[in-house]
Amino acid sequence: MAKSKGYPEALEKKLHDQRYYREDSTPDFTKRVEDKSRTIAHMCFQCGTCTGSCPSAPRSTYRIRKFMRRAVLGLESEALNDPDLWLCTTCYSCTDRCPRDIAPTDVIMAMRNMAFTHDIIPVNFLKTVTAIYSSGHGVPNNDVNRAARERLGLTRDPPTTHMYPEYMPGIRKILDHYHLKENADRIIKEREG
Amino acid sequence: MMVEKKKTTTKKTETKKQDTKKEAPVKQEAKKQAPAPAAKTVAAPGVTTKPEDARIGVFICHCGTNIAGSMDIPAVQEYAKTLPHVAYVDNYKYMCSMPGQTVINKAIKDNKLTGVVVAACSPRLHEPTFRTATKEGGLNPFRFEMANIREQNSWVHMHDREGSTDKAKDAIRIAVAKAALLQDLFPKTVPVEKAAMVVGAGVAGMQAALDLAAAGIKTYLIESTPSIGGRMSQLDKTFPTLDCSQCILTPKMVDVGRSQNIELLTYSEVDNVEGYIGNFDVTIRKKARGVLTPTEAEARGIVGGGCNGCGDCEAVCPVIKPNVFEVGMKPRKAIYINHPQVVPLIYTIDFDSCIKCGLCVTACGPEKKAIDLESKDEFMKVKVGTAILATGYDIFPIEKKEEWGYKRFENVITSLEFERLICASGPTGGYPVRPSDGEKPKRVAFVLCAGSRDNTGIGKPYCSRFCCMYSLKHAHQIVEKMPGCIPYIFYMDIRSFGKAYEEFYYRIQDEGAKFIRGRVANILEDPKTKNLHVYADDTLLDRPVDMEVDMVVLAAAIQPAADTERTRRLFGVSCTGDGWLQEAHPKLNPCGTTTAGVFLAGVCQGPKDIPDTVASAEGAASAASIPIHKGEVELEPYFATCIEERCAGCGMCVNLCPYTALSLVEKEGRQVMQVTEAKCKGCGTCGGFCPGGAIWMNHFATPQIVAQIDAFLLGGEQ
Ligand SMILES: Cc1cc2nc3c(=O)[nH]c(=O)nc-3n(C[C@H](O)[C@H](O)[C@H](O)COP(=O)(O)OP(=O)(O)OC[C@H]3O[C@@H](n4cnc5c(N)ncnc54)[C@H](O)[C@@H]3O)c2cc1C
Ligand code: SF4
Ligand code: SF4
Ligand code: SF4
Ligand code: SF4
Repeated sequence: MAKSKGYPEALEKKLHDQRYYREDSTPDFTKRVEDKSRTIAHMCFQCGTCTGSCPSAPRSTYRIRKFMRRAVLGLESEALNDPDLWLCTTCYSCTDRCPRDIAPTDVIMAMRNMAFTHDIIPVNFLKTVTAIYSSGHGVPNNDVNRAARERLGLTRDPPTTHMYPEYMPGIRKILDHYHLKENADRIIKEREG
Repeated sequence: MMVEKKKTTTKKTETKKQDTKKEAPVKQEAKKQAPAPAAKTVAAPGVTTKPEDARIGVFICHCGTNIAGSMDIPAVQEYAKTLPHVAYVDNYKYMCSMPGQTVINKAIKDNKLTGVVVAACSPRLHEPTFRTATKEGGLNPFRFEMANIREQNSWVHMHDREGSTDKAKDAIRIAVAKAALLQDLFPKTVPVEKAAMVVGAGVAGMQAALDLAAAGIKTYLIESTPSIGGRMSQLDKTFPTLDCSQCILTPKMVDVGRSQNIELLTYSEVDNVEGYIGNFDVTIRKKARGVLTPTEAEARGIVGGGCNGCGDCEAVCPVIKPNVFEVGMKPRKAIYINHPQVVPLIYTIDFDSCIKCGLCVTACGPEKKAIDLESKDEFMKVKVGTAILATGYDIFPIEKKEEWGYKRFENVITSLEFERLICASGPTGGYPVRPSDGEKPKRVAFVLCAGSRDNTGIGKPYCSRFCCMYSLKHAHQIVEKMPGCIPYIFYMDIRSFGKAYEEFYYRIQDEGAKFIRGRVANILEDPKTKNLHVYADDTLLDRPVDMEVDMVVLAAAIQPAADTERTRRLFGVSCTGDGWLQEAHPKLNPCGTTTAGVFLAGVCQGPKDIPDTVASAEGAASAASIPIHKGEVELEPYFATCIEERCAGCGMCVNLCPYTALSLVEKEGRQVMQVTEAKCKGCGTCGGFCPGGAIWMNHFATPQIVAQIDAFLLGGEQ
């Protein structure tokens, strides 16, 4: 994961890009992505409607079409190791508009799932897991929000686990079943000590 | 799969065997009946072979590897030899080839065969071929039966060698069972009416009608709108040569109007069709036009009267409506012509908006007396030998693809609107302006594949085939007519496949059009300037684009014309899932349909540009003229016959027949059913119904079908 845009690293990346892609290809990757995402990723014809629709694209180096291409070609390690994988907002604009009726969003979700099995995941995503485990929310309520809600005539807390904490054990049970919290804790510890 | 099937087969066999005993007498009786009607309908003696004397030849085709690649041909051949009645079995790489046909021909003579079974492709493809081969071997061509072991077997069971081999054995066993009972049949010939009909007078229909007329055939040309020319008359220039559309079309329109052999019926529709090839009885609805042609006026005794196109009426009419020909960008009156060059130059009243104030009647005056505000739809009946459908296309309602903002943003227009705006005779005199403020645009974006190549269920999955090329043409027209204005073409692929088309693409790029490879994701409007932001992915640069332009032109998909569905049903023509009319064979019979005597021309069959449209129209005209010039056609002898001794004269079949082919007649003092053979389509409705079993369906007779079913269920024992 390139962190600096310094010359040697950028050059290294360029050189990598120039290799024939056949080298890294894992043909069954396409099938595994399709099984997980339940969408016909192999039918992408690279029109670019997805990237053109994507709110993330103009603000980052994230290109959903490129991930679709990697799905088609079976470029597993290139897809799963690209830090851009984590920049999709899951807004589903691409899915709304894809003329081939593919759900690129679900392809991204499938790839993220697969990346996670290799411990490839940014720490902020893991912190979200921790937050959900403790509060039921990815972004828990805070005092600023509470004040805003009051001003709008709403209850200080929304009618979710914030209002009904008795449902928290159920949520934890689901997360535990998938060893999410356990893995999140382990990886955070490895990365942050 | 096969194991499972075998099991059920044997199980059924046991129960079935008992049933058969019960049914046996019935079957025997039916067999005895067979010769009776046959002898009546045909002259030649010895038309039916006694089943016990049947000698059937079986010919198995490899179709290269199409069939042989998926099944065990020697095993099938060995099996066929064991079947009852089979006297000869052979196989060949391509049965339909000349050597293959010779194998059949020779085997018939050498082995004194009485029937032929070819196990090969679909009868839709080669039944005629093998019938001819059977005939050349000296047998009646209807002594032939086809077993489909390709489309319904090797192609669909490509990976199940054992299963497809078993299925081929079944198919051959069934075909042999029928072949043993086939009779000689003799097609009837009927005379062909020396007249044709063309429905739709776009460039396709006009060309077809002109060709038919030139071949000396009286041709009725039916057009639902008030004037001829279709979409082509709305175009400015035409790719790739850039001739002016009007200049090349108008002379043809005039020829159509003038031709002695063409009876042009505009503002008319086909209301009903009866009959069959050679003898179609067509009812035409002449919609109430409100205006008389000079001929119609004369018929009413108004000598020298009728519409002369002066337009005095239009000037006084108080009702204003959008002009559809100008895609709503120009007004017209309730009494109107689309544009000054219309053929025929006769005004039309739009009775949906006419308020019957009568001002036009006064303006027209007492000499011409051309206007009749009380006119009603009229019907006329004509008889034609053949018919061509040329109903063309409509523009897909592109507002359904909401992301491009058509009908929400004023400066988003369709290509057809652009044609009118860039056309010298159009609403802006040939200089496109922004609908929002009448300003000249400086940057124009073209959105290709708008609604085409779309699998979302909203747009159309097919390529509309001419939008790439006309968008290149539009880019050229901008560069030519509007210096300083840049055309941006957003595309996925440029499909410039025709003669001189790629060269045209080269030329337009050279002229300065900018090409961006990316499908437009969405369009937003700046509410203040009414400029448009076009969002796409420049896929070649791998970078999103937000391009601000003054105007967007959507190359909208096309779809079959609105009335196509109703019209095709009248003529019994099928269509594809998209609604385009279905040709008899996409490669080998692109102008024909599965209804004998009905042909297709132009875009109604599928998207085509003008060169392809005209080529298909000439093909259709030629095909439609063949039966007319031959003067007679053979009808398949698959009609019903009445076995009079069994007919109780109940008459129930008479009402069931969908083609009114049956009637009751008095014979030897009692009522019996009679078939008008030329009207009967052999559908079998009556034959399946008759409670007394008195109806014999030629070639699909009850004993023949029962033998097939038995052969399948009893596995060859009969
Ligand atoms: C914007 C645009 C630009 C184009 N530019 C070019 C170009 O530059 N060069 C080129 O080669 N091609 C061009 N084309 C394609 C061209 O328009 C078609 O190839 C051509 O018009 C097809 O002719 P047609 O006779 O098959 O259909 P149409 O032109 O649609 O004619 C069909 C006719 O049948 C009539 N009709 C329909 N239904 C019935 C019915 N039920 N009963 C009676 N009458 C009926 C209609 O009123 C119409 O008159 C362009 C198309 C568009 C949309
Ligand atoms: S919009 Fe669909 S077809 Fe087009 S590039 Fe994206 S995923 Fe592929
Ligand atoms: S769902 Fe993700 S990839 Fe698709 S448009 Fe939204 S942010 Fe972009
Ligand atoms: S002709 Fe070109 S613009 Fe039209 S649908 Fe086909 S590819 Fe798209
Ligand atoms: S077979 Fe069909 S068309 Fe012929 S007479 Fe019977 S019902 Fe009518």
